[in-house]
Amino acid sequence: MTSITDAGTVTSAPHRMSFYRRHKDVVDGYLFLAPFLAVYIVFLVYPFLKGVWISLHNWNLMAVAFNPDAKEFVGIKNYVRFLWGRDMTWDLTAAWMPRLIVLLTGCAAAYMAMKGQITRRMAFVIGIGVTVVWVLLGFHPGEGGRWYDRRFWPAVSNTFVFVILTVPGVTAIGLALAIALNRETRMMTVYRTVFFLSHVLSVSVVTLIWAFLFNSQRGLLAEVTERLGAEPIVWLTNPDLAMVSIVIATVWWSMGIAMVLFLAGLQGIPSERYEAARLDGAGGWALFRHITLPGLTRTTTLVVVLQTIAHFQVFGQSHLMTQGGPNDATQTVVRHIYQAGFRDSELGEAAAMSMFLFVIMMIFALLQLRISRVED
Amino acid sequence: MRNRRQYWTLVGGLGIAAFLWSIPTLWMLSLSLQPNEILARTTTYTGFGLIPYPFTIENYVNLLSLGNTPRWFFNSLVVATGMTAVTLVLSTTAGYALARIPFRGRGLVFVLILGGLMVPEQVIFIPLYTMFADWDLHNTYTAMIIPRLAVPLGVFLMMQFFRSIPEEVEEAAVLDGAGRWAIFTRIMLPLSIPAITTLAIITFLYAWNDYLWPLVSAQRQEMYTITVGLGSIQSNFAQTEGLGRLMASGVMASLPVIALFIIFQRFVIRGIAMGPTK
Repeated sequence: MTSITDAGTVTSAPHRMSFYRRHKDVVDGYLFLAPFLAVYIVFLVYPFLKGVWISLHNWNLMAVAFNPDAKEFVGIKNYVRFLWGRDMTWDLTAAWMPRLIVLLTGCAAAYMAMKGQITRRMAFVIGIGVTVVWVLLGFHPGEGGRWYDRRFWPAVSNTFVFVILTVPGVTAIGLALAIALNRETRMMTVYRTVFFLSHVLSVSVVTLIWAFLFNSQRGLLAEVTERLGAEPIVWLTNPDLAMVSIVIATVWWSMGIAMVLFLAGLQGIPSERYEAARLDGAGGWALFRHITLPGLTRTTTLVVVLQTIAHFQVFGQSHLMTQGGPNDATQTVVRHIYQAGFRDSELGEAAAMSMFLFVIMMIFALLQLRISRVED
Repeated sequence: MRNRRQYWTLVGGLGIAAFLWSIPTLWMLSLSLQPNEILARTTTYTGFGLIPYPFTIENYVNLLSLGNTPRWFFNSLVVATGMTAVTLVLSTTAGYALARIPFRGRGLVFVLILGGLMVPEQVIFIPLYTMFADWDLHNTYTAMIIPRLAVPLGVFLMMQFFRSIPEEVEEAAVLDGAGRWAIFTRIMLPLSIPAITTLAIITFLYAWNDYLWPLVSAQRQEMYTITVGLGSIQSNFAQTEGLGRLMASGVMASLPVIALFIIFQRFVIRGIAMGPTK
């Protein structure tokens, strides 16, 4: 790894060296690491374990604050409470749409494995995952039954819808702009700054602006539609459009990061490839199709995974623009956890739902690590 | 000739797109410069509201003399600066150890820290809340700063950078009899100023814009950060009468991050481009 130690200690014989000199690397290593490691263990590892612990208890925020013994060990009851319901049944057609999407994902993986684009092991893992999810999605409350927590699964479903709408939007616009702006001229640099600028705003500034842009009485969009001769559209209080509204605001907010990643990706494509293709008579579209796109496969995957991780944790937009409404149409997983914990004071349940979020985040994070490793 | 025309068409088209893209931001700025009496009726008075006419700076004057916004701005400054300073110390030391000190157990520590990337704030804010409640630390700067310091992103950023510095640089210093601390502070740190700047800017932006944890931890209004405070006044419907002032708060919340971004653009963009990819 390095020869510093050898160079530093070679002058004296091992038995005459002090403890420090003999174990210089270990001592130095842990001394340098100690400050971060201490913070990391106390404020990340420990809270995580404590989260597991809380999730196994009936833990009321107020009650435990006044009396630390007011918690009661309940095992996995909290998990059952948000995942499950009364009088559950299973059938083939329940939740057919998400299940169809899951099945199609499986087919895509199988196809890619056949074409040799992913390894067989990967395809096998995906196959198992797809089957398990497909089977689980078939469960639902039968006649006279109901979910114990009626709001949890709709919140999960809303979050997925939000991700499925936002990520392609961010990726497509980011890619298009990166390709258009991939020239080193002064104007292009200015444009890059302008397009990226919205990304540095905080979530409450973004929601402040967009809540009033979308405002159906006084907003800018209402004014524009009115001058075009149409009725002002009710955005935020319409159950069908509320989600679309926060998706639009989010795409505007987070496109910049995708654009920058794509610009970096484009810079990684050797210009000789373009020149060679041009000599072969390839035009603009052919160049894009056969050189730019294949050259960006890894970047695209990375953008999609990173965006999915970021947007699955959506909270502020829903909390501030629509308060999860109307009628829970924009309620998301993190907002549901937040409310379970700090409105209903049920920390046990909130912690259990955090673990659900963790499992999903972990799957995406592993995917991200895998992609990064492929490159190295 | 054809290429030149194509280029200017592209510049023109992108110019229109860039203008449309910045309308929301410009609109906020413009509304903050208009009188509240007009905004109570319409937000599109002159040129869809994008031209601040009639013009007033009354909203900013009110903002500075009334209400909590200056205090929140100050809180954000303290929290973001504190978090940035400590993050730099923790990330450079830990990053250096992982990159350049060959010690037993390094691989294990690395994996342990890597695992932290899978645990976002949204997963642990409930237990963190109970911890700081037990210590009676909520509504303090300490509580708002500390949990963020455990995020390992900066460690990896610095580790990567230190690895890219040629080993000969250090070896020469060792031959001159320099100890590890001296090598770290006098050679490695000065060489990493670009990477440190990148990390500092990104951490500051992140801290300034953080929403969930400060929202949970600061329950007293005077301890809100500006991001949380702005969120709290916009959901309060009565405040919409003072729309101009609300927008002025939004502008104030954005000024430091926009200024920082424009000045240090290069660093921000490099940080994003190298951060998650490797």
